[in-house]
Amino acid sequence: MNHFTFVLKSAIEDFSRNKGRTFLTSLGIVIGVLSVVILIAFGLGLRKYINDQFQSLGSNLIRVVPGQILRSGGFSSTGSMTTIRFDFRDILKLERVKSAEFVIPIVTRSITVSMGKGTEPATLYASTADIFLALNLKAQHGGIFTKNDVDKRSKIAVIGPKIAVKLFGNEDAAIGKNIKIDSQTFKIEGVLEAKGGGGFGGPDLDSFIYMPHTTAQVFNPDKKFYAIIVKSKSDINIETAKQEVKTAMLKRYKEDDFSVIDQAELLGAIESIFGVMNTVLVAIAAVSLVVGGIGIMNIMYVTVTERIKEIGIRRALGARTSDILLQFLVESVALSVLGGLMGLGFAYLIVFFIQNFFPAYIDLNSVVLALGVSSVIGIVFGVFPAKKAANLSPIDAIRSE
Amino acid sequence: MIKLQNVNKSYQLDDEVIFIALNNINLEIEQGEFTSIIGPSGSGKSTLMHIIGLLDQPTSGLIFINNKDVSKLNDNELSSLRNTFVGFVFQQFNLINKLTVLENILIPTIYTRSKLEFDPIEKARYLLKRFGLETKEKSFPNKISGGQQQRVAIARALIMTPQLILADEPTGNLDTKSGSEILKLLHELHEQEKMTVVIVTHDPNIAATTNRKIEIKDGKIQ
Repeated sequence: MNHFTFVLKSAIEDFSRNKGRTFLTSLGIVIGVLSVVILIAFGLGLRKYINDQFQSLGSNLIRVVPGQILRSGGFSSTGSMTTIRFDFRDILKLERVKSAEFVIPIVTRSITVSMGKGTEPATLYASTADIFLALNLKAQHGGIFTKNDVDKRSKIAVIGPKIAVKLFGNEDAAIGKNIKIDSQTFKIEGVLEAKGGGGFGGPDLDSFIYMPHTTAQVFNPDKKFYAIIVKSKSDINIETAKQEVKTAMLKRYKEDDFSVIDQAELLGAIESIFGVMNTVLVAIAAVSLVVGGIGIMNIMYVTVTERIKEIGIRRALGARTSDILLQFLVESVALSVLGGLMGLGFAYLIVFFIQNFFPAYIDLNSVVLALGVSSVIGIVFGVFPAKKAANLSPIDAIRSE
Repeated sequence: MIKLQNVNKSYQLDDEVIFIALNNINLEIEQGEFTSIIGPSGSGKSTLMHIIGLLDQPTSGLIFINNKDVSKLNDNELSSLRNTFVGFVFQQFNLINKLTVLENILIPTIYTRSKLEFDPIEKARYLLKRFGLETKEKSFPNKISGGQQQRVAIARALIMTPQLILADEPTGNLDTKSGSEILKLLHELHEQEKMTVVIVTHDPNIAATTNRKIEIKDGKIQ
């Protein structure tokens, strides 16, 4: 048996004899690793969630919005300050862009829907019939509105399943019923399939109410659009399409007045915000790892003082200063890695339960990080007590009582 | 085998007072001797033993082991000599209580840097059997008697086959019967294996059983 395995074995035996003390000593590391791993798992889950949401929205979509909302990868703080709003002339112009498959205007507003006595907050989303194609929306019951409805300004609406359930008890029951928005009455033409979403600050797509933009002019008398969505032809590079859209828009507006963004850019911007938030949270959690390390250092100093005699005996039997150093370092690293493993174990349990309602997950990187960081903490905070032990003179150590 | 030349050891107690523990010691111990160092408490006999055992270093003077000056060796070299050349037996036994009897005996073998020419566990078991402790292998030191603990300590001192056994009041914490058994054991090692043994004691009866007596008083050899 070599020295290292002997020392490791006796450290582990020592821990199993002092389970309570060992647990309390490494508790700081347990909590530190637990919170860091959980927060990383949440960050990963959030990213996955956002990605999935964007995937479900359909691809090859280019959004034209007023103002500069994205700047160097993040959301601009001065964004959306410009007051320009698009109108039908912009739609006509964009429809002439070669790479555009179709162009749809978006009018959106927060509204209150009522049916009999019940009222529900919702988001109105008014556009052309192509909106269903662009956003991958399908009717679960009834149908969607058509180009004909847009031309005739039909007073109909297609509603999200959540609104349907809230107002009518189930999705099926909503078809053909009337709802009221600002004293205007609309007939429900269809109920959409559930998309998920909402609950984490994102739009709850299942609570949207869709109607022809022509119909929605009652809420939007100046006939201006909040945004325009251009779906590019699938065989055309999205960057080329964006450039063409931009060139078309520049004929009327200044460069700073509008933004042309695609899904990937938007996704990147959202991810970078959550990335920064997550990093800050993880950094705060990492403070508890340092506190945990100080706890270990404290106990290691106590251990060294308690075991001066043992150190003296070992020195008398031929242990070198490096042997004593190694012994105490192995103990502090073992303590800290043990804490790291326990923290990881608890984190797995918690994430396992969280997965019932949120796609958080622990990846290999977090495992490596947790174990790496706890070993480093064991070394950094163990080295001072271990040095103290190693530098004791053999004669002073063995004479101590 | 061991030669001390003009060895002095003094301690600075405070700014003014210097305590002289050893005063110009000249001493030679030959291979195969059974020697006692005897003196009252405070005479410097323990300091002398610590210096011979390379646990402590003299303030001045030279120490030769097998004609090699060891006064200028660094800590690693001294540790190696303590590991292979000397076997310590202490009055307080100095076993590590959280390790088993067997593990205690094995401690010196884990600190050696040269390749062992024996199987450590086999040899430890042989020594346990020889000292009548074969059933105590897995016991912890605080669960066995003082006499048994001291025999474990002697087994530990012997595991590396040292050239010198240094015993500091080996019977001081034992009853008369166990004490004389330990003394008998040390004599056997000397007679049967030609082991060099040095016993530090204040007890003239023990000193009387040794071949050679070195009397020390106030840090000086009488």
